[in-house]
Amino acid sequence: MPGFSSGGLGGEVGGPAASPPCPFRPSRFVPVSAATTFLVGSTTLFFCFTCPWLSEHVSSVIPIYNAVVFLFTLANFCMATFMDPGVFPRAEEDEDKEDDFRAPLYKTVEVKGIQVRMKWCSSCRFYRPPRCSHCSVCDNCVEDFDHHCPWVNNCIGRRNYRHFFLFLLSLTIHIMGVFGFGLLYILQHQHQLDSVHSSVTMATMCTAGLFFIPVAGLTGFHMVLVARGRTTNEQVTGKFRGGVNPFTNGCLRNVSHVLCSSQAPRYVGRWRGKQTVEVQPPFLRPPLSEAQLEAKVLDNGIQNDHHSSRSKSSLEQMESQSADAEPPPPPKPEVRYPGLPRADTEESSLLSEGPSTPSMYKYRPAYSSPQRNHTALTHPNKMIRGDSLDSPSILQSSRQASYRSEPSSLDGGSVIGLAARGGERGEGPGGSSGTGGEVAGGISGYSLGGRSYTSYPSSLVLSTGGSHSSSMRSAHTHHNTLGTLQSEGTTDTSYKSLANQTPQNGSLSYDSLLTPSESPEFESAAHELSPQKPHAPAAFPTAMTSSPPPGVRDVPLQGYTSPFLSAQMAQQREGQLLQGSASFSSPNRAYLRTFSPPPPNPPHAAHPETQHHLLHQDSRHPHLRATSSIRPLPPVSEQHSPSSPHACSPDPPVSPPPRGPSLRKSPSYTGEAGLQHKARSMGGASLSGEGGVRVTQAPQSTSRPGLANHSTSKPVGGVKKVTGVGGTTYEISV
Amino acid sequence: EISAPWTFHNLQELRHSASLANKVFLQRDYSDGTTCRFQTKFPSELESRIERPLFEDTVKRLNIYYAEAEKMGGQSYLEGCLACATAYLIFLCMETRYEKVLKKIGRYIQEQNEKIYAPRGLLITDPIERGMRVVSLQLLLLLCVCVCERETDKEKHKDR
Repeated sequence: MPGFSSGGLGGEVGGPAASPPCPFRPSRFVPVSAATTFLVGSTTLFFCFTCPWLSEHVSSVIPIYNAVVFLFTLANFCMATFMDPGVFPRAEEDEDKEDDFRAPLYKTVEVKGIQVRMKWCSSCRFYRPPRCSHCSVCDNCVEDFDHHCPWVNNCIGRRNYRHFFLFLLSLTIHIMGVFGFGLLYILQHQHQLDSVHSSVTMATMCTAGLFFIPVAGLTGFHMVLVARGRTTNEQVTGKFRGGVNPFTNGCLRNVSHVLCSSQAPRYVGRWRGKQTVEVQPPFLRPPLSEAQLEAKVLDNGIQNDHHSSRSKSSLEQMESQSADAEPPPPPKPEVRYPGLPRADTEESSLLSEGPSTPSMYKYRPAYSSPQRNHTALTHPNKMIRGDSLDSPSILQSSRQASYRSEPSSLDGGSVIGLAARGGERGEGPGGSSGTGGEVAGGISGYSLGGRSYTSYPSSLVLSTGGSHSSSMRSAHTHHNTLGTLQSEGTTDTSYKSLANQTPQNGSLSYDSLLTPSESPEFESAAHELSPQKPHAPAAFPTAMTSSPPPGVRDVPLQGYTSPFLSAQMAQQREGQLLQGSASFSSPNRAYLRTFSPPPPNPPHAAHPETQHHLLHQDSRHPHLRATSSIRPLPPVSEQHSPSSPHACSPDPPVSPPPRGPSLRKSPSYTGEAGLQHKARSMGGASLSGEGGVRVTQAPQSTSRPGLANHSTSKPVGGVKKVTGVGGTTYEISV
Repeated sequence: EISAPWTFHNLQELRHSASLANKVFLQRDYSDGTTCRFQTKFPSELESRIERPLFEDTVKRLNIYYAEAEKMGGQSYLEGCLACATAYLIFLCMETRYEKVLKKIGRYIQEQNEKIYAPRGLLITDPIERGMRVVSLQLLLLLCVCVCERETDKEKHKDR
């Protein structure tokens, strides 16, 4: 019997009938077919050959008892297999629109006093609720995601975890029963061991005995998980290792939640009742308070009461309102920029701490071609999109050597130089072209060293430069989110932001040209628990470059650069992409310094120190880690101090930190997964990502525990930061 | 550019046409774990459209309903036992407790829409449609206003 070990690989290993043209389809059903065959076949043989004698000579209750247990096992097996685990439907476009294109990749929420990150899912287009994870096998976000079980060929999530758990329990009991009663039969038929009945009984006993060890191990594992209130995903990624689990309610309540709670509803495939509410204008309006009236007088008209205007201008107002849901904050670039070196609350603390990962933005630009006559809003989007196309290279590198991508993501800062230069050329509208040029000049001092260029840091810059109002809004929202984001990030984030091709506010079409071809592949590759195929990363650049979406002029330029793309080529591409970009407004400068270009030295050499340094940095500024994640690694600022005083001043200590969390996350998870997987292989843990991940990440697993040890919690200013091996940091308010 | 659904008066049509603009989303409140609760924070976009107490009342009532659905009490326990005893075949004929409460919530939202929100040019959508991640409120005001304006303008032009 093939090992129950790596779920992802087990399916394929046990699938000799898998045809090359469609390797996935048949192999996905092999484990579940095998499980069904063994379960039903062995039990049937037991009932046919062993039970008759037992019911006659021992007790007639035995077959009844075994039948009941078997039916219970089978029922739970079927429910675990066929039940929707709690799949979230894809978010509609309008929900996405709420967030700006520079919205961060992570949102932080506080769960019982502990900061929990919600990651942006580029496939499903929403921020994943806590405990939700995206399954690459099923290509769905699943609520309370436990794992993807190949033996039932289904994800185990909120809705069917109970059935899965009961299946394991009942299967253990059933195996024990079959083995026990078979042993009883054999002991009574020692003189007839060559008879058919005895040999069949011995065969079923062997099967039962063989399956008992992994099944019992897995059952015990899940019993511990249920008692602790954790999911397999959380246990394997080590999220709560050495920390506090915010989702636990105590052992008894956890158990009763699993067993006694009402079955959760399904979200997809629901019958939608047609609402028939008649809407008749004019509409009621609440009376305005004095403060509201005053606000209306003082504001610039964007928040005007459209109802009262009653003119065609209301249309334009609506348009502007849709573009800017709130009035742009008063632009004070001169004040903002100088404020950065000082202790300007979030931003300065971000800078001093150092950004964790480069790609902390869910990159959601509108993929507008240069010919389209869009407003300035689309220009930065175009550039962002192009820039973000570099992230597949980061993904690749993260797949193979997770730390290699870090420096490349740092290169995103160097993109700023390109972007700035693009802005300097005066392409595209831009009210603050003067300041943009000035910024560009400052940025241009940064060398474009390093290999690939991440898009997202430049996307931040570019987007702010594109249109004054949009940049204001972005800056505003960005500023607001800085304090809340955690700087935990992985190299995967850059690639996710790349894959996320959302239309800009101005463009209402959801047909992101790159999304259909890119996002599924990106998601499947980047997902933590997805089965990692060793060849997948390598396939990305070729796949990407070979299939540019039609209709977008920039696509060929924005191809998925390999992480080893030369600086020159990257520069060229960036320059081409930036040709339509608007000049940068001064608020860009606030971010420019954050996205300083990465150090040109090879990433590998810098990894140990950066990780170490980063961990310390993170521990020092726990509550600012979120903000630091927005920016790429600023370590390079030291080298570029002469070129731009602004960008360099606060950054010297920050250099390594950004990489640390990113580096920590994916490899440490995989390393941890590998270690844990070994420990649980007896239990037949069927985590889809483990086997493949282990293969690719094994060499680095040894370095990970060392990193994890560094991440001791350091109480800082009343906030205790606890870092898990998986790279997730939880901040507990003390 | 905005499509001009000048002839739309039905809620469904308006909802679709206004799908990409003027939507307010109420996010989930995860402060108490993954139990279903929505933030009662009053969005600023609604300040000029609906009174705050009405809105908060609606959201609080929704939260109460969801807490009732997820409550682990005797009824849910008995339901689970019955389901196990019948090998889950009982679900073919019986509705789960959660589903019952969800229907109640759907009726409540419909009633709120009819009574309170539609007269103010708003529309609440049932969060279950979005996986209970957000409650979306559509601001329908502008389109209807423009419809009236256009019609009056046309009449004016006809008169002249």
